[in-house]
Amino acid sequence: MTTTPEVKISRNLLHTWIPSVVAVLAVIGALILKSHIPGGELRAVATIFMFIALSQAWNIIGGFAGYASFGQVVFFGMGGYFTAVVMLKYHFSFWVAMPLSGLFAAVFAMLIGLPLLKLKGHYFAIATLGVAEGMREVVINLPDLTGGGAGISVPIAGTFAKTQYLGDGGFYLLFLGLAIFSVGIGTLVSRNKFGYGLRAIHQNEDAAAAVGINTVRSKVMAYGLSAFMTGMVGASYVFQQVTIFPERLFDVEITVLMIMMVVIGGSGTVIGPLLGALGLQFISEYLREHFTSGHTFILGLIIILAVILIPQGLVNYIREGRRTKQYSLLTNIRRYRL
Amino acid sequence: MDTFLQVTAYGLLQGGLLALVAVGFSLVWGIMNIVNLSHGAFVILGAYIAWEMQSWFGLDPFLGMFVSAAVLFCIGYVIQRYLINLIVNGPVFITLLLTFGINMIFIQSMNLIFTADFRSIQTSYGSNSLKIGAIHIPVVRLLAFLLAILISFALVAFVKRTRTGLSIMATGMDRGAARLMGIRARHVYAITFAISAALAGMAGTMIATIETFDPAKAGKFTLMAFVVAVLGGLGNLYGALVGGLLIGLVESWAGQYLSGTWVNGIAFLVLIIVLIFRPNGLVGKAFYAARVEL
Amino acid sequence: MKKNSRSFVAVTAAIGLVMLGVNYAPVANAAGTLTVSIGASVPLTGSLAKEGLLTKEGYQFCQTKVNAVSLFTIGGKSIKLDITYQDDTSKPDLAAQNLSKFNDKGMKLILSSYGSANVNAQAAVVELNKQTMVDSGGADDNIFNKGYTRTFNVMSPASEYASSMVKAINDLARPKPVKFAFLSADDGFSKTVTAGGIKTAKALGFTTMDPQYFPNATSDVSAALNKIKADKPDVIIGSVHFVEGVALIKQSKELGVQPQSFAETVAPPILEFASTLGPLAENVLGSSQWTSTTKGRDKYFGTAANYATEFAAAFGHEATYHNAEATAACLAMVMSIEKAKSIDADKVQAALKSLNTMSFFGTIHFDSTGQNSSKPMSVIQIQKGKIITVWPRISAQAKMIWPYAK
Repeated sequence: MTTTPEVKISRNLLHTWIPSVVAVLAVIGALILKSHIPGGELRAVATIFMFIALSQAWNIIGGFAGYASFGQVVFFGMGGYFTAVVMLKYHFSFWVAMPLSGLFAAVFAMLIGLPLLKLKGHYFAIATLGVAEGMREVVINLPDLTGGGAGISVPIAGTFAKTQYLGDGGFYLLFLGLAIFSVGIGTLVSRNKFGYGLRAIHQNEDAAAAVGINTVRSKVMAYGLSAFMTGMVGASYVFQQVTIFPERLFDVEITVLMIMMVVIGGSGTVIGPLLGALGLQFISEYLREHFTSGHTFILGLIIILAVILIPQGLVNYIREGRRTKQYSLLTNIRRYRL
Repeated sequence: MDTFLQVTAYGLLQGGLLALVAVGFSLVWGIMNIVNLSHGAFVILGAYIAWEMQSWFGLDPFLGMFVSAAVLFCIGYVIQRYLINLIVNGPVFITLLLTFGINMIFIQSMNLIFTADFRSIQTSYGSNSLKIGAIHIPVVRLLAFLLAILISFALVAFVKRTRTGLSIMATGMDRGAARLMGIRARHVYAITFAISAALAGMAGTMIATIETFDPAKAGKFTLMAFVVAVLGGLGNLYGALVGGLLIGLVESWAGQYLSGTWVNGIAFLVLIIVLIFRPNGLVGKAFYAARVEL
Repeated sequence: MKKNSRSFVAVTAAIGLVMLGVNYAPVANAAGTLTVSIGASVPLTGSLAKEGLLTKEGYQFCQTKVNAVSLFTIGGKSIKLDITYQDDTSKPDLAAQNLSKFNDKGMKLILSSYGSANVNAQAAVVELNKQTMVDSGGADDNIFNKGYTRTFNVMSPASEYASSMVKAINDLARPKPVKFAFLSADDGFSKTVTAGGIKTAKALGFTTMDPQYFPNATSDVSAALNKIKADKPDVIIGSVHFVEGVALIKQSKELGVQPQSFAETVAPPILEFASTLGPLAENVLGSSQWTSTTKGRDKYFGTAANYATEFAAAFGHEATYHNAEATAACLAMVMSIEKAKSIDADKVQAALKSLNTMSFFGTIHFDSTGQNSSKPMSVIQIQKGKIITVWPRISAQAKMIWPYAK
């Protein structure tokens, strides 16, 4: 899969005003929607927004730079635990704790990024996975600070609760905000020099270095930025959940979901992860509610079908289709099969 | 001293079991660059088949494992030939998604067919141990350990000495060139994946004899295979063995001399340190690491 | 293209949300019956699928029985239970979200999920939504020390799990053992269990060794066994789940660790324990929330023995304590509805607070934190492959075999 054509296309389109208008309309739509659905649905939609933000964050390091962070959930977990600890032990307001959690995750990412980003391909993937699994063990083994396996609770009532619990509507807005923020960052990155540098690294790192891109700095920055967004989402998730446990906060399945959403939607694009997160989360939620015992089975089938029919991701499929005027799925299968 | 020897012996045996789980995973990854997230589900399926064999026909697990291997060989062949082959030329991480989907289906099917009961294969020699001085060597673990070593050597011999093995290796090195030489890549890929699944089935049988299993455990085995394969390094068929033994020893020593709750943490720390200083794993080849891009 | 995808997003979202939103009709009134809609989010997939299924069976059995006999009326209408199930895939966030969705549909009465993490997440949501929940699957004390007032747990508290076995050994084991070793998983629940057990052992004058911890759900506990082996404990008490519990017995044999007796929480009363371990399971002690000889009766299920018989006839397998816990939670809900003469969540909550009754599950009486702390636990022993109640003495089916016979 090459990324050259998509750069060209996005240039043409991004200079028009249409996407911005659609984006504004989508946000207004989301705000109108808020007053029309009840609390539990708000919570479900907030989860969709959460995954939009998470997949955008992953896309920066995994999609643009091509470094598949298989342990991305570590930033989610560390951001979350940072917020829980400072809110519980030091009585921070959530609004202070959340950005600090992002920074905390970003600094951590840049520190581990320096050695780890030298690794290539699967080895980078597995090393980051090791970090995530290892950090979960650290959290479990520091019960005085983190509550360990017994979990930890954010104060939502009483004198130490500095920030009032946001409620279903409040979290809907919070996660919507994070989704908008992350899509904004993603759009910025995809359009500016930094983003082109990352794409160059993705295609050929040696060549990128040869044309004067500081590859180490770009990669570390991208990792930090990605971790910053993931950490803030983790912080918000913790506040929403109130009581958290290390198993869920460092759950490798969350990473797998981020990757799936990005890859199914179209990695290395902004709209792809957005569509992937929306579609996948919506489908899985719908199936879970309507097929209580068989939902994972059906979801598995849908994933297999999606992957076989459009392995390059939805957005890249449409782009290739526009370029070649060829939308047939059979041709598409022929293109990628052995 | 006795304690040290006991802990070391036990760690090595545990490592052998890990190696057994990882060897097929490492093969598929090394040759075809496919990260098979359904590997753990294959292991569990192998365990269930051997369990059923014992409960229906009273078949000893050391014979039952060949039934598991045979069934999984067929399943593996079909999955690679008619599913994974369809997207081999797609972006690399796409196989990850496909196998994740396969994994979901397998696990839910096992949940429904076998129920989510905990199971374990009972044998008359189950938890017996050989005593060497004050050291206890559990018999079944020892056999599983020997099996891991035997399989590693047999795999190397197969790849280096047989026609099919050579074509597997050739396809792994350069698929295009291999096809030009008349190797049927589709078939070779399917055979490779089938062997990997068969090995997972054997590993599952050993797991079932030594521990307990249920479908929810599949993810744990995939993760273990992942870690062990990378630690050893790709592109070397002894990689899984080396990685498995190292992790087994490290966990065993850490549990004894540090704290019982830190064992997993220490294992991952070792993984990260090894990767930082030996970016291709302990005995891996650089070629297999470098060719991978998303 | 960009434009198309964006509008596609909006349209999909809109259609989707409408589809998600429909179909929440209020409580339907057929003539002469009052339907009580109860929400139950249980893990049917994921790591707790097995326990989740047992919990669901317990709830289903309760619904069938209660609807069949229809023993009381409210405003002249007889009560019909209608329990809606949702899968939470063993994840706390979904367990909580499911409750909010139930709340959207006007379901204010809740039967809990399984597992301390799931129930912990649910308890917070129940409080915010002003729902009322009876808990059958989360016993960790830290659910009940947060000041929540709308979650009620029918089980004996976590601190009783190991403690009851220490008391039973003190009461029945002759010659009396001296030295206890506690081995424990490192999750919150298991640690609470261990702390409770050590406290009781010390109070009764036993010698206790430093507890050894291992990772939750591990299948290798050899390190902990190697560490205690040299000190030759008389009793090994494992605060474990099924997987660690089986590993502890198997690996003790492998490593030649031979105390007078093993005692484990949670694992031995699970049917597969004896079948998995075969002869190795013989004489292992376990603690159980319920057995078929638990004392007490109620008007729906009769005695524990009646419950066991009828449950086995309905589901084709023996009733486990997970089944009984779930049924008991549902029963507590029903009895409180009867007492409150209302299905209003606040009134049921008030009735639960003052509920004090006997049942097939033993005493149901919630203390100020919402726990059923006055209910004793039973101690069982695997004897000839069967789960036999040996303590408390009044419900014992056989004498405790002591010491551990090889």
